[in-house]
Amino acid sequence: MFEHPLPGWLSWATDPEQARRVPFLSRSPLFAGLPRRLLARLATRFFEKTYHAGDVIFEEGDPGRALFVIVEGSVAITRATPKGPVVLNTLGPGDAFGELALIDDFPRSASAQQATDGRLFILYKSDFDALMEGNARIAMVVMRNLARQLTLYARRAPVFPGAGPEAGAPL
Amino acid sequence: MRPARLLGWAGLAALLWLARGLLLPLFLAVALAYLLSPAVVWADTHAIRRSVAVGALFALIVTVLAIAGFLLGPGLLAEGAALLERLPGLARQIDQGLDRVVHELAESAPAVRRLLPEGGGWVQRFVLDRTPAEPADLFERAGHLFLLVILVPFFAFFLLRDMHRLMALAMDRLPPQHVETSVAVWREINGVIGRYIRGVVLDGLVVGALAAAGLWAARVPYPLLLGAFAGLANVVPFVGPLLSATAAGLVVVLTPGQGLAGVGRVALLFLAIKVMDDTVIQPFTIGRSVHLHPALLLGSVVAGNHALGVLGMIVAVPAATVLQETVRLVLEHRRALARRDLRHQPQRVVI
Repeated sequence: MFEHPLPGWLSWATDPEQARRVPFLSRSPLFAGLPRRLLARLATRFFEKTYHAGDVIFEEGDPGRALFVIVEGSVAITRATPKGPVVLNTLGPGDAFGELALIDDFPRSASAQQATDGRLFILYKSDFDALMEGNARIAMVVMRNLARQLTLYARRAPVFPGAGPEAGAPL
Repeated sequence: MRPARLLGWAGLAALLWLARGLLLPLFLAVALAYLLSPAVVWADTHAIRRSVAVGALFALIVTVLAIAGFLLGPGLLAEGAALLERLPGLARQIDQGLDRVVHELAESAPAVRRLLPEGGGWVQRFVLDRTPAEPADLFERAGHLFLLVILVPFFAFFLLRDMHRLMALAMDRLPPQHVETSVAVWREINGVIGRYIRGVVLDGLVVGALAAAGLWAARVPYPLLLGAFAGLANVVPFVGPLLSATAAGLVVVLTPGQGLAGVGRVALLFLAIKVMDDTVIQPFTIGRSVHLHPALLLGSVVAGNHALGVLGMIVAVPAATVLQETVRLVLEHRRALARRDLRHQPQRVVI
């Protein structure tokens, strides 16, 4: 549907780059339930960057300022332990990580490293905040999805103190 | 630093020095691009190509300007021509008034005569210095203005069309680990500048319209011209509103039949506009984009005036805000990194 947002006779004026972003973002669990109109507004705020295998996207303890959505390639989420770094999860296209940066200013709870060559969408907190100021619905839907992910995580999180985050935990 | 890199920086500095004449058009183009960027973002949400969107936007602006010129142009031109014709006479009258004041002051305090000699004709000289005497000067100034009118939209067009590509290019050049923080700083600063420029322009439009309507109601001559000046001068904090009120007051003083009551009406009008601007208009237009302390605000305006004159006073507030935000974000980042390093240190055992 959004692949051709303009009438047929105006298809020459369509920006294919923007047109492909909305259907892609609609498949991400973080933005599920957002109407196309709001997804289109959100899509304009994303930056796109190419990463190569081995590139460190962020490190545990770094200040979190952005959310990442994988367009192509895969990303390994690791955490330092006394026995060395442990891979918590490997994410693929459509998956989002670093989402907690949108709601708090705490440091990253794990590291993210590009596992294979790929591209990421990046949404900065300042852009997300600016968008939320005029669109309460975006804030409500994204926060609800985030809360759902946190609830899922909390339900299966280990009850033993110091056991560390589980695979799939929000960062 | 490597010699090649040093040579590159030196070349860049030389290039900037040679192209310094383009700085003003470039600065105005950046301001125009910030002003128009919400329209381009709107087009992005409808997946319209940037080149098409920016082209259509410029066509719309030309149409609106043509209509505004058709409606307001004759009035502004007539007022401008009348004022230009009266300007030498007005300047002479002001000088005579000033001389009278100096003469009276000098009678009670003779030292004043040394500081402010009578018959200086300062205002006349000021006016004559700024009025092109030779046709060649007139052509030169018209040429500069024409270049500005052509270059500003030209640069703004390409900034609006290609900024996202330049941004993507810059992001791909940045080391991956630094992308998040460096671009986050840029996005925050970008947001502050954008909100400030759009707010200031909207604020100037409202203040200008209020001043023109108020002056017209108070039967002050040249209401359109003085209103336009009030709107433009409003860009400069503190000094701007004072200048526009002084200009309107001078016009009233030199208009027969207005008297002191007219000056009082103008003073009251500009005071009311200033209070309304500070309490109602600015919170809606500029809002929270500027968080500078009033002392820092005033200091930046004075420093801007010393460095670049009127242009410096205009850019002082956004420049100081950008500096303050950058320092805040960099300090915040350093604190976060320090916390991380502390966490990574091996725990000490106290025996």
